[in-house]
Amino acid sequence: MKLKTLALAGVATLALAIPASAGATTLIGSGSTAAQPYLLALFKGYTKLHPSIHFVYTPDGGNAGVKDVQQGKSQFAAQARAPLPSDAGTTYVKLFLDGLCLDVNPANKLTNVSIQQVRDIYLGNITSWTGIPGSGLTSTIDPFGRDTNGGTYNFFVSSVLNNKPPSSRVTPLLSDGLVANSVKKDPNAIGYNGLAYFTPRSGLKALKLNGVPCSALAVKKLRYPLTRYIWLVLPTANSSNKVERFADWVRTSVKAGQIISKVGGVPAFNQTAKKKHKK
Amino acid sequence: MEAGALATPPRPPRPVPAGPTWRLADRIGIALCWALGALFCAIAAAIVIFMLVQGIRYVRPSLLVTHPTAGFNETQTGGFLDPLLGTLLVAAIAIAIALPLGVATAVWLSEYGRPFALARLTESAVEMVAGTPSIVLALFGTVVFSSPALGFLSRSSGGVVFGRSFFAAGAILSLVALPLIVSSTREGLQAIPTHLREASLAVGKTRFATVRRILLPTARPSVVTGTMLGLGRVIGDTAIIVILLGATLRFNSAGHAPLLGVLKGTGSTLTSYVYQNSPSGEGNQPSKAYAAAFVLLAIVLVLNAAVEIVRRRSQVGSWNP
Amino acid sequence: MHDALLIEERPHWWSDRRAELTLGALACGVLAVVLAMLVFVVTAAWPSFAHNGLHWFGSGGNVDNQIRTIFLSGDQGGPFHWQFHAWPLLWSTILTTGAAVAISFFCSVFVALFIIEFAPSSVREILQPVIRLLASVPSVIYGLIGVLVIVPFIGNHLITQGQKQSVAYAISLNGYSLLAAVLILTVMISPIMISIFCDGLRAVPRTWVEASLGLGVNRWRTYWKIAVRTARPALIAGTVLATARALGEAVMLAMVSGSVGFAPNPLDGVIFFFEPSRPLAATIISNSEELSSPPMKHTLYAIAAVLLFSAAMLSLIGWVAKQPMKKYAVRG
Repeated sequence: MKLKTLALAGVATLALAIPASAGATTLIGSGSTAAQPYLLALFKGYTKLHPSIHFVYTPDGGNAGVKDVQQGKSQFAAQARAPLPSDAGTTYVKLFLDGLCLDVNPANKLTNVSIQQVRDIYLGNITSWTGIPGSGLTSTIDPFGRDTNGGTYNFFVSSVLNNKPPSSRVTPLLSDGLVANSVKKDPNAIGYNGLAYFTPRSGLKALKLNGVPCSALAVKKLRYPLTRYIWLVLPTANSSNKVERFADWVRTSVKAGQIISKVGGVPAFNQTAKKKHKK
Repeated sequence: MEAGALATPPRPPRPVPAGPTWRLADRIGIALCWALGALFCAIAAAIVIFMLVQGIRYVRPSLLVTHPTAGFNETQTGGFLDPLLGTLLVAAIAIAIALPLGVATAVWLSEYGRPFALARLTESAVEMVAGTPSIVLALFGTVVFSSPALGFLSRSSGGVVFGRSFFAAGAILSLVALPLIVSSTREGLQAIPTHLREASLAVGKTRFATVRRILLPTARPSVVTGTMLGLGRVIGDTAIIVILLGATLRFNSAGHAPLLGVLKGTGSTLTSYVYQNSPSGEGNQPSKAYAAAFVLLAIVLVLNAAVEIVRRRSQVGSWNP
Repeated sequence: MHDALLIEERPHWWSDRRAELTLGALACGVLAVVLAMLVFVVTAAWPSFAHNGLHWFGSGGNVDNQIRTIFLSGDQGGPFHWQFHAWPLLWSTILTTGAAVAISFFCSVFVALFIIEFAPSSVREILQPVIRLLASVPSVIYGLIGVLVIVPFIGNHLITQGQKQSVAYAISLNGYSLLAAVLILTVMISPIMISIFCDGLRAVPRTWVEASLGLGVNRWRTYWKIAVRTARPALIAGTVLATARALGEAVMLAMVSGSVGFAPNPLDGVIFFFEPSRPLAATIISNSEELSSPPMKHTLYAIAAVLLFSAAMLSLIGWVAKQPMKKYAVRG
């Protein structure tokens, strides 16, 4: 008998502990896993201003998110690559900027690399660090990349490799975190990660691309070659105007810009807070 | 008189430690035993101590009661209350489905079991599920729960079914736990001597009443063991959760009913939280991942201890003389 | 007469016939679900097999490029491409699973013997719960240990520059390798094997062991020749279960094995152990976000069907192997 009452009590506490939302509008979205941290922070900020709006976001991948919007399963999606002809029936809205940095291990003395060199490395044409002057190494290059799941891979392939598949020398890893981890541990490695991974203690060294440093400033001014937008994907027909209002808020408001910068992105269109000068 | 019989008294029988009288093969055998045993102890100790050290470094009680939030910074991302509740919830659903089904199947297989062909077929089917990789079960789940007929079990908008929810994950996880419960219960039932069943039938009870009032209570330790083993497998499963639960950080209920909405919605568990926050996921916060893994292992440890206690208590009043 | 002895049960609605039918219906419900799973997976897998025929299992072309072509053809709305030769994936699965099970079997027999008989009792008390704990550690943790500790060790300390340069035209050797995958998979499946072997050894009647010891046979030979031989059904059951677990391991292998559709070549000598590869289950999880593209979906289900079939074959082999041992069995 005691076991039964214990079980019932457990279920009751479980039921009470789980918050129930009542009377709110729910906006359903899905898509890119890379954009999830940004979106969740933005949802939180937006809900503070409009408490009746409740967001649901399922990170099932950028391509799956777009398909969800096309089929009507989601009201919006987040995508980290530019629109393709196969995304018919959807409208892409630019939200904010992100930069894809090339990183190497701190043991590598390289500071600047050209896009052509990166292309040669990832297509397997250059296999040793002796082919890249300035690196100070003579070992073989270990290139790391992403596997085919996800917008980062597609962005890299379309911007750097001109849509050719990377060579079998590239080790495809499941996530950006694993790429960063591998570059940290292997002195001969080169990889690519989003801007947010380069904190002072990250153990990674970001390279300049064609002379332009991979920094928030260069990305914002669109001078860095591997700058990409994070997009919001909406259905062209009957899109929810609540979602459109959210997109406007993300694009233009000061608060959203601050949230984006704090999480590690680069606000593109947001107004900045006007500093109050003390007399 | 035979000289041989009185020549030497027989040696007292006792196990002889490895000595110069042993053959080389035997000495190698014992050496291998000790070497591999010591190696295994070392590896096990290394893994356990690694998890312990990392856990103690990173676990704080506040993590257990704070909701997770998204962010790239360790201090911004809160705790793992939702994944913890998610683990308990999904385990409860899985066991709630697997336990009655498993016990019923085991009872039918061992007590009734006619027609024989059907019984053997069911046995083989359960064994096949035991050997099926969980990723295949997850793919099966996506097919089944995306169909419109089962749309009420997950979020659906405008006739299109989302297909991922606690119900979906719990149902497929019950398939993972089922073979363990069935085999454990069957062994427990088969260990009961037949004279008990015959005595009960002789006194006039029906077969089902025998099962209900005598066999199942006696086999209860086996049922509990099987349930705990199944629970252990369910709690540690990653592939099914990642594919069928939606991996949203917090509970995202579908609809407004308090419990039903949560069950139809998506969420996360400790395993998918560890997956996402380890360097293998997008979260990239190893400290939270280790803390969550430590809590997960602590839950498994408590479960195993419970199994041991039940097993020891059952040996007090067992039927084996 | 004596009410305590005569227990009369009135014929309730749970009479025997109805109870049997209900229980039977529930059990057959389970059977139906499993059969439905078979049907679903094979039906979803059929288009990929139909377009490729037996060449599905053969080799030819770069598997990764074929996967990419299949996915893009479905994603971008053109005519579907189906060509898929999965031999590198199959070979990788055979290598990792085979090597891990072989090494683990060899080690687990000795460790189980050690635990049951030769270990001091304090060590034995600690080891039992530790083994069960290790069997329940989620595979992500093993993958993490692999990625953070084993892979860098192999990459930075075991692989030489000369080896890397000799294969640089095709693959890069950086620690994500067959060796790392087999090592971690062995550690992962050993606890399962050890605990089942221990159960089997414990079920050997004590009288048999003591009779042998009484005849003067030394301790090692007693256990090796008698206990292990008697526990052969448990050895087979443990091996089958561990092989099933190794076949289905997806997450850890996707993290550690290198994820390149490359068939490691044993003729490469030592380099063979450092070559990257990708087993079947890891392929499914690496491409799990591409289920939205129809030909990719059918290809992934075809891989799942192959895994399902091998799990069924494993159970069959286990059953067949146990049959000749029934006459020596301790318990039926």
